[in-house]
Amino acid sequence: MTENIRKWRWGVNRWWILLFTILGIIGANLFAPVRPHIQVAPENVSHDPLFSLPVFGDFYLTNTLIALVVLDIVIILIALAVRNATSSGQLVPGGLAGAMEALLEALYNLTESTAGKWAKAIFPWFASIFLVVLVGNMMKLLPGVESIGVLEETKKNGHEMIQIIPGLVGAIIAGEVHGEGYHIIPYLRGLPTDLNFTAALALISVFMTQVIGVRAQGIRYFSKFFNTLTIFKRPFFGFIDFAVGLLELISEFAKVLSFSFRLFGNMFAGAVLLFLVGSMAPVFAQSLVLAFEFFIGLIQAFVFGMLTMVFMSQATHGHGEEEHAE
Amino acid sequence: MTGDIVRAAQMIGAGLAMIGALGAGIGIGLSVQGALEGMARNPDSYGNLLTNMILGIAFSEAIAIYCLVIAFLMLFVL
Repeated sequence: MTENIRKWRWGVNRWWILLFTILGIIGANLFAPVRPHIQVAPENVSHDPLFSLPVFGDFYLTNTLIALVVLDIVIILIALAVRNATSSGQLVPGGLAGAMEALLEALYNLTESTAGKWAKAIFPWFASIFLVVLVGNMMKLLPGVESIGVLEETKKNGHEMIQIIPGLVGAIIAGEVHGEGYHIIPYLRGLPTDLNFTAALALISVFMTQVIGVRAQGIRYFSKFFNTLTIFKRPFFGFIDFAVGLLELISEFAKVLSFSFRLFGNMFAGAVLLFLVGSMAPVFAQSLVLAFEFFIGLIQAFVFGMLTMVFMSQATHGHGEEEHAE
Repeated sequence: MTGDIVRAAQMIGAGLAMIGALGAGIGIGLSVQGALEGMARNPDSYGNLLTNMILGIAFSEAIAIYCLVIAFLMLFVL
């Protein structure tokens, strides 16, 4: 099999860039970009609640919920493609399977260098959190996400609407923003811009850290939080150890906060930046922000998975201070 | 009139909340400086230093992100 060398098609690509720039200028003149209404809570796509629980209230079909389903489908499709490629008998996978193999191998080597013999237990959490957050972050950058949706009448902050296909397709145009008009409820919204998603991931991560700690050390793991090992031997320093243990317990809860707000804050700030730059300079400047957001999304996915992995591997190690405190 | 004053107070509050990003910026700069000096003296430790640097940046960045979240809450929620 001869090796297939593809030349870098710079000569063709620049004409594509020129074409899309001109299309962008035409589009920005036809439909002047609207400064969107920014909302922290995800929008409800439907008016009727999906189901109701007695204590918690109504549950609506939000657009981040749809995004979560799309994300699951994407990840399952990737998994099926990789399984097809590996079960077809080729020893050297190519394309998507090769890329996934390289990625997961790099992640596994990183886990093994940090966690040692517990790498097999920790790696699935690291890799799946990394993949879920990565796909969720990248989905925000697709065109159409957060801009295609249901047009609805609203009493305040509305825009004028023009009909492209009467009765079916319309677009809101820039104009007076106060008063009655229409606004868009998008079908899809970047998944990590919903605090529920990031908080759920953070809870999973911190809870499984405790589980892996108990698996590694047994009941002694909790002496990290309620440190009564030295309190009778040496009353004064034992008491200080006990107080430090309580601080460890508080910091475990702070981890949930810092995990969820780090991802949410980064991604929501990115979304707001994209909105504002897109509404102020719609032609070329937004591509630079998109490239920056691609980088940020990659870094944040890596940081979320990596912190989970480091905390888990710290939980497998013993407290350590009993040995060299004497 | 009162709504305008509340809106102005929200804007000022959001701007004041972002002062906290000052510390995070200094912290990130210091950690990158330390990591780069280490890499320049010992190029073999590049990979190890890079991951630890990113971890440290993530920790100090979290502080700035808290400020950003507070600013967003003031601007878009309250």
